[in-house]
Amino acid sequence: MDARKPYVRKVSKTSWFMTHARYKTYMLHEVSSIFVALYMVLLIWGLFALADGPQAWGNWMSFIESPLVILLSLIAFGFFVIHTMSWFKAVPQAMRIQKGEHFIPGNLIIGGHYAVLGGFSLFVLILAGVA
Amino acid sequence: MARSAKAVPWFLFAAGGTVTAFVLPVMLFVTNIAPPVGLFTDAMSWSSMHDFVGNWLVKLVLLGIIGFGLWHAAHRLRVCAHDFGIRADTPVAAVVYALAALGTLLTIWALLMI
Repeated sequence: MDARKPYVRKVSKTSWFMTHARYKTYMLHEVSSIFVALYMVLLIWGLFALADGPQAWGNWMSFIESPLVILLSLIAFGFFVIHTMSWFKAVPQAMRIQKGEHFIPGNLIIGGHYAVLGGFSLFVLILAGVA
Repeated sequence: MARSAKAVPWFLFAAGGTVTAFVLPVMLFVTNIAPPVGLFTDAMSWSSMHDFVGNWLVKLVLLGIIGFGLWHAAHRLRVCAHDFGIRADTPVAAVVYALAALGTLLTIWALLMI
């Protein structure tokens, strides 16, 4: 028998993140990985359909345009945006750029990332539009 | 100092997180959200997609996006499993990394057939 009776606060192993707003935000960007994985699987299937021929590609496109997949895509889009925003927010903590005696302010690095994101997205949209 | 193997999944996670952060929102919009409302249907037709992906540079970029994306998701799903109360880290890690490796190989295979 142990004479010690330390107080151990009960923490749920499955819902601990619901106790604090910061933990909820953390879980939100962690859960985005489920949708990233699903989208990668969809893309791999799409590449096989592309290799297979127009009919297989057509089947893949009709799958994408089915109501359930449209709904999941909209949810996935939300999670991808959450991932992008949380990732950019963390960049200055992971990447400290020194210039002379000072560090480049984090907001400048984050802003640069958003500028590249905007430029790249615009480039892809124009490319898809003129194709 | 002891060498750690952690650097490998960590590099893949960071590379994948960066690539997906820049690429996935607009890519999902073009492939999944725009076509149902009638946008980019020409670009998403089989013939123009087949021409586009037929370029070896595009293939390399797609392999980078899907490959790094898979390893990024695998590493985060491993952490997610822990956070949702599954504490068997070794088997979870084996499963998610094996699936990422399989997906990477399948991507290479599919791209070589196009």
